[in-house]
Amino acid sequence: MGIGALLAIFTALCAGGMVLALFVPDRRNPEMLAAVGAAASAVLLIAGAGALLGGLAYSAQLWTMPGIGPLRVSVDRLCGLFLIVTALVYFPVSVFSAGYLRRYAGRYSLRAFSVMYLGLFFSIVLILIAGDVLLFLLAWEGMAILSYLLVNYEHKEELHARAGYLMLAMGEGGTLASALALLVLASAAGALDFASLKQSASGLGEPQRWMVFLLSFFGFGVKAGLVPFNSWLPRAHPVAPGNVSAILSGVILNLGIYGIARVNADILVPASTLPGLIVLAIGAISAFIGILYATTENDLKAMLAHSSIENLGIVAAGFGAGLVFMASGHPAFAAIALLAALYHMTNHSIYKALLFLGAAVVDSKAGTRDLDRLGGLIRPLPWTAFFFLVGALSISAIYPFNGFASEWLTLQALLRSVELPSTGVKLVFVLSGALLALTAALAVTCFVKAFAMGFLGMSRSGHAAAASEAGRSMLWPMGMLAALCLLLGVLPTYVTGALDRAVEPLARASAAQALVPAFFSGSPGHSELPAQFAAEFHELGAQTGESVAPGPGLVMLHRGGESNPVVFAMSTTYGFVGLAALLALVAGIVLWLTRGRRVTRNVRWDGGVRRLLPEMTYTATGFSNPVRVIFDAVLRPLTVEDTKETVAEHFRTAIRRTRHDVHVIDRYVTAPAAACVFWIALTAARMHHGRINAYVAYVLLTLVVFLILAAVS
Amino acid sequence: MSAVSPREIECAKDELPGVCARLYADESCGFAGLIVEERGAEWELRYVFYRAEAPGWVHVVQRSPVSDTVFPSISARVPAADWHEREAEDLFGLKFSGHPYLGDFVLHNDLWQEGLCPMRKGFDAAKPVLKREPDPHWKPRRIVHAPGAFVMPVGPVFSGVTESAHFQLETVGEDVIRAFPRLFYKYRAVEKIAEGRPLEHALLLAERFSATTAFAHALAFCLAAERIAGIEAPPRARALRVLLAELERLRHHAGAIQEICESTGLAVAASQAAILEEDLLRISADFCGHRYLFGLAAVGGLARDFLDGACRNCVSQAGEAGKRLDRLEKMLRTSSSFLDRLEEVGAVALEDARRFSLVGPIARASGLARDLRKAQPYCGYEAFAFDVPSEGEGDGYARLRVLFAEARQSLRIMKQASTAIPHGPVRAAAALTSSGATLGWIEAPRGACFHWLRVSPDGAIERYRIVTPSFINWRGFHFAVEKFAFQDFPIMLASFGLSAAENDR
Amino acid sequence: MSQWVLRGLKTGIKSTPYPARAEAAAGISPGYPVMTRYPGATARAVAGVCPTAALKDVGDRVEVDYRRCVHCYRCLRATETPMKWEPGFERSTLNAGGRVLDGAFERSVHILVVDAGDCGACLNEVRQLDNPYYNMHRLGFFITPTPRQADVLLVVGPVTDPMRVPLQKAYDAMPGPKCVIAAGACALSGGVFGPSFAAGSGVAGTIAVDVEVPGNPPPPLAILHGLLVATGKR
Repeated sequence: MGIGALLAIFTALCAGGMVLALFVPDRRNPEMLAAVGAAASAVLLIAGAGALLGGLAYSAQLWTMPGIGPLRVSVDRLCGLFLIVTALVYFPVSVFSAGYLRRYAGRYSLRAFSVMYLGLFFSIVLILIAGDVLLFLLAWEGMAILSYLLVNYEHKEELHARAGYLMLAMGEGGTLASALALLVLASAAGALDFASLKQSASGLGEPQRWMVFLLSFFGFGVKAGLVPFNSWLPRAHPVAPGNVSAILSGVILNLGIYGIARVNADILVPASTLPGLIVLAIGAISAFIGILYATTENDLKAMLAHSSIENLGIVAAGFGAGLVFMASGHPAFAAIALLAALYHMTNHSIYKALLFLGAAVVDSKAGTRDLDRLGGLIRPLPWTAFFFLVGALSISAIYPFNGFASEWLTLQALLRSVELPSTGVKLVFVLSGALLALTAALAVTCFVKAFAMGFLGMSRSGHAAAASEAGRSMLWPMGMLAALCLLLGVLPTYVTGALDRAVEPLARASAAQALVPAFFSGSPGHSELPAQFAAEFHELGAQTGESVAPGPGLVMLHRGGESNPVVFAMSTTYGFVGLAALLALVAGIVLWLTRGRRVTRNVRWDGGVRRLLPEMTYTATGFSNPVRVIFDAVLRPLTVEDTKETVAEHFRTAIRRTRHDVHVIDRYVTAPAAACVFWIALTAARMHHGRINAYVAYVLLTLVVFLILAAVS
Repeated sequence: MSAVSPREIECAKDELPGVCARLYADESCGFAGLIVEERGAEWELRYVFYRAEAPGWVHVVQRSPVSDTVFPSISARVPAADWHEREAEDLFGLKFSGHPYLGDFVLHNDLWQEGLCPMRKGFDAAKPVLKREPDPHWKPRRIVHAPGAFVMPVGPVFSGVTESAHFQLETVGEDVIRAFPRLFYKYRAVEKIAEGRPLEHALLLAERFSATTAFAHALAFCLAAERIAGIEAPPRARALRVLLAELERLRHHAGAIQEICESTGLAVAASQAAILEEDLLRISADFCGHRYLFGLAAVGGLARDFLDGACRNCVSQAGEAGKRLDRLEKMLRTSSSFLDRLEEVGAVALEDARRFSLVGPIARASGLARDLRKAQPYCGYEAFAFDVPSEGEGDGYARLRVLFAEARQSLRIMKQASTAIPHGPVRAAAALTSSGATLGWIEAPRGACFHWLRVSPDGAIERYRIVTPSFINWRGFHFAVEKFAFQDFPIMLASFGLSAAENDR
Repeated sequence: MSQWVLRGLKTGIKSTPYPARAEAAAGISPGYPVMTRYPGATARAVAGVCPTAALKDVGDRVEVDYRRCVHCYRCLRATETPMKWEPGFERSTLNAGGRVLDGAFERSVHILVVDAGDCGACLNEVRQLDNPYYNMHRLGFFITPTPRQADVLLVVGPVTDPMRVPLQKAYDAMPGPKCVIAAGACALSGGVFGPSFAAGSGVAGTIAVDVEVPGNPPPPLAILHGLLVATGKR
């Protein structure tokens, strides 16, 4: 079945679902939504797989807009990859919604949710398959509005309206910038479809290139949650419903990356290294700031939002490195870097969706998202805890889950900078690499805190103690995502093979060829190490032992360049198998040795206190306080009050301490920008002083100005 | 020992805070303690103040019928009375109006019910309390209100070889904002089980309730009993008592120095000090038979005599240990990493020391140079020449310096005591059974210690109240432990050198 | 810092030769009363001197219950018919059915010390076990602050009421095989403090005791002897 047919089925399913939602009773809507959403995702997955793996390109012309031109749809490999990721996230989230949305029954309209949800799905896919500027922007606006409506679903809460509005406002600002970029390209090409934009992009002059790059990067960067325009993200996530958060982080943020990739890697290939360096630097800084605020944040969903900023920063860093390599003529390294970026983006979608679903379960069962009031949830919610742990391990880049593979590749790509000639470029790479390493360490701290304070220990509040496990419709999607996390981590060579097909047209080189040499790929006749490869090894002074190749496609390795001739290798598959075997062996030995012994269980040792109360255990704030203190210069708390109310001076009855943090970006970017806008508005408002004489004078003034203009031109 | 009769002021209940405040406003006046007695049909509350100048002792006495258990609290004006009033509330059931925090002191609320009042006459101390109603909603007392603040529990079983005490460290995760000690895990009700027993048995209790300073407590008890009986220990006994008391002080200070060195992790210094402490313990046992000087003090003198040669031998051995102590001090004063951990750690200001009438090396390290051996001499101390060392900073290093200096002074007194021991009996003739009540006091190694004794006509103890230096000084610990880092906590505990056994009785 | 190294080296080895050879230094033990023969009436009078009923007249002699002796020396000094006192310190006994940690514990035994209300002297003597004179590390004894890694529970004090639960918790938290040593007169019989409403009559009232170390306080070598009994080396 061709991709066009599949996309048509997908559209029919979405439209049909939106119509059905209006007829199905409100209470049954979640199940309908789950069924339709799952079916649509499955169809989309097949379509995306066909585009990416099958190599089937698709291009069609929809109806023609009068005076502007035809609206085009085109599906290429990059598009196929994003379609697959979208489908992989939408499928479990749809199934999850069946059980999750019940909490809104009676309070808000579930019909409206279904309509908006499916509409959002459709508009996202439309953005990805859009083949010309107009369809792209139309679909983008549709996505922006629908995502605002979904984020603001609980519209009766005061706080939610403000967060949603900020998201919409900043999103529109970004859309404006990216629309300008696309229009500059379109005006140079004289047409609106992406194919012509690509053809004429090479003829653009230097200032135009820069304008397009800056506008598109920062414009799409708002959507991707990159510094300095990420203020909306940590505010939008806590107020959105749980499944919407998963979509927001797992799919919608990727659209920003899609936009940046489409414009800067596909249409407009970089000519100098500076744009790439800017992307790299912004990515690294985003990653650091994101994880720093995640570590010191106590609200579970806000923490995950900050962590999304971190992960998207890593994606951007990989992408920037790719652009630099592309501009300096190292296509193989560019391919590796772009592959790493897309791999990390895929991984992030999977494990962030998993974490947000887990947070949604915690929120609905324990009634609170504040880590300082959770605790001990592993007993009532064992499966949720297990899946959340898998997500936490993945996001901390712990072997053998998927985060490890993509972060390894990203750091490896950054290390390839030794091949570059310019010292300044190398310096930026090294600093970014160091910042990413620091980020990785903080990420582990952050998620140890999240899991330990949320699930382990004692319940710190009554709600947490009264929680109960989620239903199967909510557990199976999380299980599916957790299984994907493991698979994507243990079989990276197959993933690189798939992603390579999307990267190759952009970088004009094959990453998979560089990472998984041909003799590993199981093609017939390659069961022995080829002589050339063995010779290279001997050159490095290494021995190769038995000249038998390991199994097909299970080792990633690549050789450094001239100035760095070592071999970097990683095999999560073999390692995983080895680890599992070792664990089984040790477990077997231990069980056999202790077969006759009795195991006694005893209460934790607490120093002999009569009763250990929850207030005697570490809080999330306490756990992350050392990080707060170390990075005090960045976090800069505004006020720390320490008042003692005493009776007769020596009986201290209260010591109060409050801490007020303002996000560093808000302090240096958002607040000054908002102040500037207000200043402009206030200055301009001086025009409105209410006197009718002045307004009449304005009319006269405008008339005079136009007359002059008409006379001059 | 001169007979010192205290000046007694009897006042009405509502005048009590004013009278006590006026007395305490004098900077040189210290508060010894509150002694509560249930005498038949009335309460007798005795607030004991002391100072170096005349009159040395002032007792403010308040008598009330037994049915009236509400008294005004003087803690707002005399902060040193804080824990005395709390103890009286827990053990006697008296209410001190105006005190912001009564209860959960000696008898923990999550173990015993309210209203137990074990020190009342009607309570039978021999029977265990079977019916328990502990408070099911007991929570640790919290003073810090900050988001994410929690209470870190330490103890009662913690660290390696430490006394059982519970500490609640309130923190927001990085530094400890305040620490709240919860003591009386070792409450053995010594004051209660002494009641009704003969003097000899109570002497055993006095010796053994805080055996690291056994001789000092036994001596204070004997001084009080002798004053009641109207007898005086003979001169030989007095000189030997001084010798033994200073030997105990020297050994105690060596042990305190060893604990400080061990808490900072300076292993060689800790070993050197440990060798010194063990040497002094062996010298003590070689001299008098028991390492902690048990079974020596007796009412009227000492329980046994010593050969003059043995005394001189003991003092010369102690002198040799003293030389090694001096050498250790010189080496410690030049170890900068060791001093880093002690300086400015756990400082107690002079103002706080004065307000809470802190005693002993801790008070002297903060600049409050009070020593009962000079201010209220007993046992012939007025005949000996010695200094009372004091420092000004009040931090851990100052306390260490005071310990070393006091050890040197102890040795000086011991040498004087052993050079010319008077001849004669070592115990006064048996006293006629007499009754009465008086205060015995002594400068124990940890500080000033007060034993109030009331003996009934048949020779049995009617009331035995012990105000120990640890009880007084633990209150001062609160000030030292505000806003510190976790790792300084064992060093603060060691530099204070307080004993939970002595506090809990 | 070299001054500390030199000082340590100059001090040399101070460890006692015990248990390989006898220790004969002065002041290592307060001594203990031993069974003394006296005719009937005198025996009764001698036994009556003891304030804690540690002396029992058994017809023609006076026996000593070491659990109760509080070293007040009255039976030695305050009478014309004194009890015989002997120096020495090896008076620890293994209770019937008591657990001995031998075999695997040959070279490494970890001890948790719980202070159940002692006066400070027993604890101080336990602290001396780690000083250069006694140096229990050379015999494989180590102090640990957590019961999870402890093999021996060394309890001092009469077990005051507030310490009953912590003591029980510490014992329960220790993994088997474990051995309980009660050291000191208070831990064995309540000493002069128990039983009362606040203090118990020893550790046996709360948990089962394997090895008893009498003394008030037992000198460090006596506690060491008790540890050796607990590990089957004596």
